[in-house]
Amino acid sequence: MTTQLHEQASSTDDQRRRNAVLGLATRAVRAESSSVLAATVLLVLVIGALRPAFFSVGQLRDVLNSSVYVALLAAGMSFLLSMREIDLSVGSIFGLSLISTALLMRGGVSPWLAGALGVLLGGVLGLVNAVVVHYIAIPAFVATLATMQLYRGLAVALGNGQQVTGLPLDDSFFTVLGGTELGLPVSVWVLIAVTLLLTGLLRFTPFGYRVRSIGSNPDAAAFSGISIAGTRTKVLVLMGAVGGLAGVLGLAFFTSGDPNIGTGFELQAIAAAVIGGTPLRGGTATVFGAVFGAILLGVVSSGLVFFSIPANWSSFATGLVVLLAVAVDSVLRSRRRARESAFGL
Amino acid sequence: MDAALAATGIAKAYGGVTALAGADLTLRAGSVHALLGENGAGKSTLIKIITGAVFPDGGSLLMDGAETRFSSTAHAAANGVAVVSQELNQFPDLDVLANLFPMREPTRGPLLRRAEMLALARPVLRQLGVDVNPRRRLGTLSLAQRQLVEIAKALIVRPKVLILDEPTSALDPASSARLLEILRVLRDRRVAVVFVSHLLEEVLSLCDEITVLRDGRTVLAGRPRAELAIGDIVHAMLGSLPPVATRGTRRGVDAFGVELVDVSVPDRLSGVSLGGGRGEIVGLAGLAGSGHTTVLEVIAGLRRPSHGTVRLPDGRAAPRDFRAAIRAGVALVSGDRRRVGLMLDKPIWENTAQVASVALGRGGGLLRVGPLRAAARELVDRVRVRPATVDTRAGLLSGGNQQKVVLAKWLAADPSVLLLDDPTRGVDLGAKAEIHALLRAIADAGAAVLLCSTDLDELGAVCDRVLVFHRGSVCAELTGDSIDQHTILHTMNTGVVEV
Repeated sequence: MTTQLHEQASSTDDQRRRNAVLGLATRAVRAESSSVLAATVLLVLVIGALRPAFFSVGQLRDVLNSSVYVALLAAGMSFLLSMREIDLSVGSIFGLSLISTALLMRGGVSPWLAGALGVLLGGVLGLVNAVVVHYIAIPAFVATLATMQLYRGLAVALGNGQQVTGLPLDDSFFTVLGGTELGLPVSVWVLIAVTLLLTGLLRFTPFGYRVRSIGSNPDAAAFSGISIAGTRTKVLVLMGAVGGLAGVLGLAFFTSGDPNIGTGFELQAIAAAVIGGTPLRGGTATVFGAVFGAILLGVVSSGLVFFSIPANWSSFATGLVVLLAVAVDSVLRSRRRARESAFGL
Repeated sequence: MDAALAATGIAKAYGGVTALAGADLTLRAGSVHALLGENGAGKSTLIKIITGAVFPDGGSLLMDGAETRFSSTAHAAANGVAVVSQELNQFPDLDVLANLFPMREPTRGPLLRRAEMLALARPVLRQLGVDVNPRRRLGTLSLAQRQLVEIAKALIVRPKVLILDEPTSALDPASSARLLEILRVLRDRRVAVVFVSHLLEEVLSLCDEITVLRDGRTVLAGRPRAELAIGDIVHAMLGSLPPVATRGTRRGVDAFGVELVDVSVPDRLSGVSLGGGRGEIVGLAGLAGSGHTTVLEVIAGLRRPSHGTVRLPDGRAAPRDFRAAIRAGVALVSGDRRRVGLMLDKPIWENTAQVASVALGRGGGLLRVGPLRAAARELVDRVRVRPATVDTRAGLLSGGNQQKVVLAKWLAADPSVLLLDDPTRGVDLGAKAEIHALLRAIADAGAAVLLCSTDLDELGAVCDRVLVFHRGSVCAELTGDSIDQHTILHTMNTGVVEV
């Protein structure tokens, strides 16, 4: 009995050592986000091979820069999806925060303060979503379907249906946030920071574990003392704040407020998160994957321009690429799962 | 008299485990036949064989004198075997009529023939006394009416054999009367009825014949109920057991355990007072609905008593809700581990971290995988999960190992009150013994342990005391050598300790 135990212990020791050696390499390859990263790189290479002009630094930077907003929304969305929830109002939160920040600036509020208030507003809009979900007791899907219209309508009404212009463009808010540092647009640096922060939140805090626990098995989570409503509220507020941040960054870059900006971002963000490896059934999430998913979508849409696809077909082509990406990913994933199960048994 | 269905010498083994070793059951048309037995006696396997869900290894099945073998449930249904199960497999959003004809609606081309459906359904519904419009949405009916609809569904195909699996719950006084009426209808229709129930009183008052299984064999074959008393049935179900092994001396019991004083919950508990000291394992026994599991719910803060006080160890007040209870040191282990116990798609270490580190945040604001896995490894060794790795997904473990992981995740929170609801359901014997040893160790470490179990053997094996519930109150407290299966089974069915 004791020898048996000893053997067992030493074999697990061996395993552990082996794991430590292989750990970093295998983890990089097995990471949920690896396939989307590979797909993005591959797509960039293919487009670059066929259309060398695509390979210019400026072009790639533009692609990154234009992906930032959906990438931020997708990063937040991965939290929601991993707890089996969804937020359809993020595109409108993005737009309303952007418009409100612009209006505050035009009304004389200092641009940095207005920007901070824009992020705060996003958080408040997320809280409104959470309150509606909790007190009216309807699924987040339905609640945010309604607030999507509400927030968008508010943005249009506040902007009087027109562009908000006449902003103090020489303020440091616009020159810094809309500018470039160390070779990358500042908004990309913000995206990197947010991605690292949210990954840390997801992987290394009780909150992140709670989110994924709930997605894995809501009943077991509740029966372990995890508050589903509390966690959902926090995630919706987080999502809103991230949406607000994206809106503020968008304003700094676009330098004017279009009330219809960000329409359809919610679906792009969901698509990006799913392409990135966060399944709709919940339980797992990858912030990196969601961000790369958004970049992949950005590469696709700018690649289409390079192949001079008629504008009327670009939506069709984007849909096709998304479908392809998800299909390949699904096949790879189910194979990996089958292999794991075979080992497990 | 001719048998509608005669099963003789039925044998079935799952893997190496024998479920049935030559069981007999003879059903007569127009007679209500009770099939009884302890958990694991082979009742459900026998039912599954009769309904074609499971193919027997040996034995013969005669229907109306002709040898048959059902290859599927559809095959059995086509031959006149119908089942009404305790879980209602219904569609609450469809109307009554649609629920009566699932998958076998009379059609003309692509269209339903509602008129014909109505004509078929009306007489059956009338006979059963279901006085509702068949076009009403099923979800708007009472539970009792929905049960009747389920029975009507079975009767519409004019079955020769009808199996009623646990059709009533203990605390519904109207249900027995209703059942009596239904059984009268069934007898009139010359149906051979198999009645599976845990409620021995009910069985004795409603059935014509009784068959008892024990360890996969028929020990009492189709005896008329008039010849039997509850004592005889209990004896047949349990056999003549060797006297209970003398128990070791019990630890002294700490007074500051968990305590209920005069607690009432409408329709569940009436004025129950009980206590469980630290270091003590108290068994709660009773039929489904008799209130013993409600005690666990009250202590866990899942249900608020309408009257009375609940005190946790060290005199702390009753928890406001479930999460407050957990924070106060209550642990609740359910036998339904796949639904409420585990994250099946997650490795063991994430499951064991779920209560202490994740829900309660006792590991601090930063959780790192290394320490969590190390803690999991310790727990896995302590509860003896095999294989002893912490990276295996919980869904790939055997039932016994899964249950050990559930225990481990609560152990990590160091509970002062451990509540268990049928913790070894579907667990093999070896793992069961290990879990029992674990419970004793947890009690010895100073926790008050309350154990609800449908496994009477288990109550006898691990409990210091057993409280028997009957219709919402404690009717007996068994201690020491008086804790045996016979006494528990007899008492929970009659409410009186056998003399």
